[in-house]
Amino acid sequence: MNFNLAMPLAVELSLAALAVLVLVTGLIEGTSRSSSAVNARRGAGWLTFIGLVGILGLTFLADEGASLFGGSFVQDGLALFAKKLFVGSAALSVLGTLTLRQSAFSRRGAEYHFALLMALLGMLVLASARDLILLFVAFELMSIPLYLLTGFMKRDAVAPEAALKFFLVGTVSAAVIAYGMSFVYGATGTTSIDAIPQAVASGQPIAMLGMALLLAGLGFKIAAFPFHMWAPDAYEAASTPFVGWLSVAPKAAGFVAIIRLYIEGAGVASHVWMPVLATLAGMTIITGNLLAIPQTNIKRLLAYSGVAHIGYMLIGIAALSSDGVAMVLFYLVAYLFGNMGVFMIVEVVSRSAKSDDIDAYRGLAQRSPLLALAMLVFLLSLGGIPFVAGFWAKLYVFWAAIEQGMYGLVFLGAVLTVVALYYYLLVARQMYIEKPERADPVPVPGPLGAVIFVCVLGVVGMGIYPAPWVAAAMRVAASLFS
Amino acid sequence: MGLAHYLTLAATLFCIGLFGVVTRRNTIGILLGIELMMNAVNINLVAFARFSGSVPGMVFTVFTICVTVAEAALGLAIVILLFRVRRTVSADHLDLLKG
Repeated sequence: MNFNLAMPLAVELSLAALAVLVLVTGLIEGTSRSSSAVNARRGAGWLTFIGLVGILGLTFLADEGASLFGGSFVQDGLALFAKKLFVGSAALSVLGTLTLRQSAFSRRGAEYHFALLMALLGMLVLASARDLILLFVAFELMSIPLYLLTGFMKRDAVAPEAALKFFLVGTVSAAVIAYGMSFVYGATGTTSIDAIPQAVASGQPIAMLGMALLLAGLGFKIAAFPFHMWAPDAYEAASTPFVGWLSVAPKAAGFVAIIRLYIEGAGVASHVWMPVLATLAGMTIITGNLLAIPQTNIKRLLAYSGVAHIGYMLIGIAALSSDGVAMVLFYLVAYLFGNMGVFMIVEVVSRSAKSDDIDAYRGLAQRSPLLALAMLVFLLSLGGIPFVAGFWAKLYVFWAAIEQGMYGLVFLGAVLTVVALYYYLLVARQMYIEKPERADPVPVPGPLGAVIFVCVLGVVGMGIYPAPWVAAAMRVAASLFS
Repeated sequence: MGLAHYLTLAATLFCIGLFGVVTRRNTIGILLGIELMMNAVNINLVAFARFSGSVPGMVFTVFTICVTVAEAALGLAIVILLFRVRRTVSADHLDLLKG
């Protein structure tokens, strides 16, 4: 077989090669504590970042429509869209991580980046998987390194606790997913996802039981109500640039799996899931938004607001239409820029203030006007104010739901958007109205500033001119329904 | 012995495992519960494969066993780390993070 850059597995193979390269560089550099060795180990981070940018380029070269291994691995529009999202967000997160000064990152940097690349590889395979075995293995390849990365700063008192909570919830959900898959296999006699719509349409009890268990398991992964409790703990304990990725990419992977299993090729048969998904969406929005209000730690606040955003995306899924899926994909991109940007600013501020409390943002507008403005743009985008990305995302998702006549759900979502604005603007109030305790500007390390800049561009660009993004998402979604 | 017997056994095992996960206060006990749940999955898969005469179920079982081993290894590593830092493995004492 000839290797060419557009062939279906090129992205995955290059990523695996990059991961091995990073690990080997780390091993060669050893573990001595001299400053040159520490600097060399930082090289692992730069190597990972440059490699990821290259791989992001590869995803643009890839041919669409290829299918490998008897149809169990497909490179369709959805897979490529998701892969760009995963690799792009990972590159931003790695760039943010480069500035971390904790000893764990300088001493074990290669390990960190190897685990991150492995999780990313799991996501890439998952986006292409059209077979239950491949889907399950890819899910686990994604999840297991994420538990490790959550507890990476292992000298912290809280890191092992957060990793253990995340691990327990994640493995129980993996068991539930596998149990559901076993029933789906029993009903269809094959592990191919192609056979699922027919089994669901015929209403076999075993198939329905399996799909219901699968949905519960996937609910854990995307942190939907009532399976959201791991998110705030994991976010609080893990390193902030990593959380920016953790809060977007694995959720997007979960949504890709849901789209593949429940929507793709299912047609009208998928409508049995509409009440379940709509209820899940409604409850997730309510819990996420209400639990965010009393939070005093910015990372926990963002974790609960992230749960609410998952609920809004579930509205688009619950619409079970081409428009609904397209708007979920658009929402994911908007959420990526907004959320990644916010977490990078949290990292900048918490490094200067040595605290993740919302009080640390007091008077930020007077200390660092540009940083405060960027934070305001991200918060407004997450809150859904016109002319930033998040506004269109929410509007489009609501529009897709109204097309399907889900007025109650849209009304609930719109009311709770106001609640969400309240807690986002509490942070804005600290920045703009309260007086600062210190007058010196907050230092912004170069790479973090670059990530924040890219995210601002993304959020504002998508807000002013959303058309190309919408068109791309619509095209991907339409191909799933043909 | 029909398919239903195997499925009942697997369902019982899965529920015992889930019960263990929810009620045990010792994190090692919780890990054991998760293992039981994964074994229920394996019984299910093998039973379906045997009674439908198809191979993929058995292949799936091999993969779930591998994945479970990886999970258990990481899980025990995290528990050991927790014990080193906090001198306890009881789930009741995992209360530094809340709110």
